[in-house]
Amino acid sequence: MCGIAGRILNQEGGVGRDLVELMDAQAHRGADSTGFAIYTKPLPEGGKVRLMGFDRRNLNSDLDDVIKILKSHGSDLLTDPQIDDASTTHYSVRLEVREPANVESWIAEADLISNRIEVLSYGISLEIIKDVGDAKAVADKHNLRIMQGTHGLGHARLATESDVSPKASHPFWARPFPDVAIVHNGQITNYYLWRDKLELQGYRFMTENDSELLAVWISDQKRKGLSLQQALIKSVSEIDGVFTFMISDLNGIGLAKDRFAMKPLVTLESEGELIAATEEQAVRRIAPDRWDVFNYDGPSMTQIWPLRTIEAAA
Amino acid sequence: MSEKVIQVGHRDIRIINQEFLAALEAGYSVVVTDTLSRHNLGVGLPQSGKIHFDGSVGYYCGGLNTGTDVRVENNAGWGTGEAMSGGTITVNGYSGMSTGAAMLGGLIHVKGDCGPRCGVAMKAGDIVVEGNLGYQAGFMAHRGRIIALGGAGPSCGDALWEAEVWVAGDIESLGVDAKIVEPEAEEVEEINALLKQLGLEERFRDWRKIVSEQKLWYFESRDANSWLMI
Repeated sequence: MCGIAGRILNQEGGVGRDLVELMDAQAHRGADSTGFAIYTKPLPEGGKVRLMGFDRRNLNSDLDDVIKILKSHGSDLLTDPQIDDASTTHYSVRLEVREPANVESWIAEADLISNRIEVLSYGISLEIIKDVGDAKAVADKHNLRIMQGTHGLGHARLATESDVSPKASHPFWARPFPDVAIVHNGQITNYYLWRDKLELQGYRFMTENDSELLAVWISDQKRKGLSLQQALIKSVSEIDGVFTFMISDLNGIGLAKDRFAMKPLVTLESEGELIAATEEQAVRRIAPDRWDVFNYDGPSMTQIWPLRTIEAAA
Repeated sequence: MSEKVIQVGHRDIRIINQEFLAALEAGYSVVVTDTLSRHNLGVGLPQSGKIHFDGSVGYYCGGLNTGTDVRVENNAGWGTGEAMSGGTITVNGYSGMSTGAAMLGGLIHVKGDCGPRCGVAMKAGDIVVEGNLGYQAGFMAHRGRIIALGGAGPSCGDALWEAEVWVAGDIESLGVDAKIVEPEAEEVEEINALLKQLGLEERFRDWRKIVSEQKLWYFESRDANSWLMI
């Protein structure tokens, strides 16, 4: 019983604040951990890396190793690293970097030290921030409310399929695809079958969490030539279990829902904006007086919500 | 009957429900404001009285109702009227998944559409839906009637027991072990009388009555092959 949320603004604005509200209203659905995928303003050049380290005592040496690997792939820091100053053993780091010559090769090497410090996300816009605790705790620790952007996802996790830890939190980055993230409410029952197939193709997974699989599965289908819409439709027949997931990229947010119509999603759409959440009461936090919500509660449903800015440019 | 206004906002639901009970038992008609689609509003209502939720409600509104007339001005979330045994619940908008789950009596009247598994495992009572039924309407429903003036989604009447699903519009597909039978004239009269009581337009409707085909009723069988015949 996790809670998920999506938000699209029709221009850059306080998407961090909105997602915190949406997740705070759903904290009862799972307070083991909370996470956010936020599409912030792209840098003039390069990309953003979000990292999680697992032993603060080794922060300096771990970060040195991360930077060494970046440099060996033609990248480098564009600004000083930003590191959280919490008292927890684990720590988070935000980097702005010159784009690696080959993202896939870089992340493959960076993953060799993922037992010490793990790349949570990479992209020109995407930033994944996640941690143990409820929405307010995570928002306070990581200054989520002040984050500006165009769109994003949120997740409140009740751990059912894997452990309670900062790294098992959602959202998941679709490793190694830049700027793709996922949140998921449900259980995938043919997880190991698909994981084996994807690993044989060279994909790596950082957790035992079935949601991580979905992000890579969809991105792999797109790499093989399907559109996002086609990949979402295919997921409904190929992925077994009960699920509602939302996948985001630079262009917007997509949704797929299983054949059994078990996991809800309520949306409010207006003038290029989207508020989406597992529960209507979360939508009320953003739009207390709007009653024209839509319930995605039928079987085998898919949907794509594009950014209005992208639509206008097309 | 004098009226009492109770505001929900972000207050504690247990305290709010206690306020509902106290007001209804004191003979007030209750109007509930600032509902914010919150869960568990009006659970365990008493055997008489009226309560009007002036907005949308979340999960389980009117659950375990024993006789109160409940009105929801807009949408209702999952499990509206779950295990209710009396009274009525009227939802002006959409009613979410498992409306009337395991209900034991009373009436639920939805003016919009209903989500999946409407009337799941219901034991008695009526659910009237002016719009469409969602996926698997009547799933494992034991007794009672689900009546839709609109159509029905996929797997209608899946694994029904002795309940009936009545559909006036199109049916996307029938569920496992469900079949359409010709309704008796007296049964149609009963349905029409109920609709009239709810103030719904009297006119001809091409009713399809869905009941169990009873092929799933081989509970005494130890022969696995018999299940393959279904």
